[in-house]
Amino acid sequence: MVSHYLSLSILLFCLGILGVVSRRNVFIVFMSIELMLNAANLGFVALSRLHVNMDGHVLALMVMAVAAAEAALALAVIILLHKHKGNLDTNIFSLLKG
Amino acid sequence: MITTYLFFGFALLAVLGALGLIIFKHPMNGAMSFVMTLISMAGLYALLSAKLIFAIQLIVYAGAIMSLILFIIMFLNIQEKDLPLDPNRWFYLAGGIIVVAPIAGLLIKISKSLPATEVTVFEDGFGGVKEVGQLLFSQWLLPFEIVSILLLVALVGAVVLAGKREVN
Repeated sequence: MVSHYLSLSILLFCLGILGVVSRRNVFIVFMSIELMLNAANLGFVALSRLHVNMDGHVLALMVMAVAAAEAALALAVIILLHKHKGNLDTNIFSLLKG
Repeated sequence: MITTYLFFGFALLAVLGALGLIIFKHPMNGAMSFVMTLISMAGLYALLSAKLIFAIQLIVYAGAIMSLILFIIMFLNIQEKDLPLDPNRWFYLAGGIIVVAPIAGLLIKISKSLPATEVTVFEDGFGGVKEVGQLLFSQWLLPFEIVSILLLVALVGAVVLAGKREVN
């Protein structure tokens, strides 16, 4: 049933939110964001199966391209921050704090 | 019938992988368990007869993006002492569950109200490379071009950020 797929997608999205909220390791936070993008993709594909319409597949492709761009930029930023601070703690990275 | 068993197997693996991601302390363990989530989600796409998305999930996500992340984790050579302490992560986790659980329950209840169509796997004519490609290059041509510009900008940005040399 399609609603099972949607429930799984909601569950995975919530697990991604919990990962972002509860962890301070930059890599875990980054991969939790990827998990949320994946959960949104699962929702798109499940709904496009429900309506027998392939627009959701195209949207999932777009989300994957955005995730790839995000991965490239985020990893570059992580390398820079690690070079500057020598740490992976998100609480250390508060350069913009007033 | 077999698709139902496959769905529950893949769903269990995906949720276990996601739980491992937010619980394991070392990012390498978390990344490996996230790979399990990604591969089982590729199986779910195959059950939803999205053949192109299935292949791209395996190649781009589980293949390219995750190997890039693993490469960076190994490149930074993270030891046990470099990890953040996370003294009150269980506290934040419990607070997050309290905030998120009602919203998730409401959304799952809404998704139950959708028409209960049984998911059967289409043989062909849905979700293959030809059909999605035709749709992508006719109706979605402008968003496709914009995404290509986005990828170009990300490429240039990554080179500018990571290729910076320290000026002494």
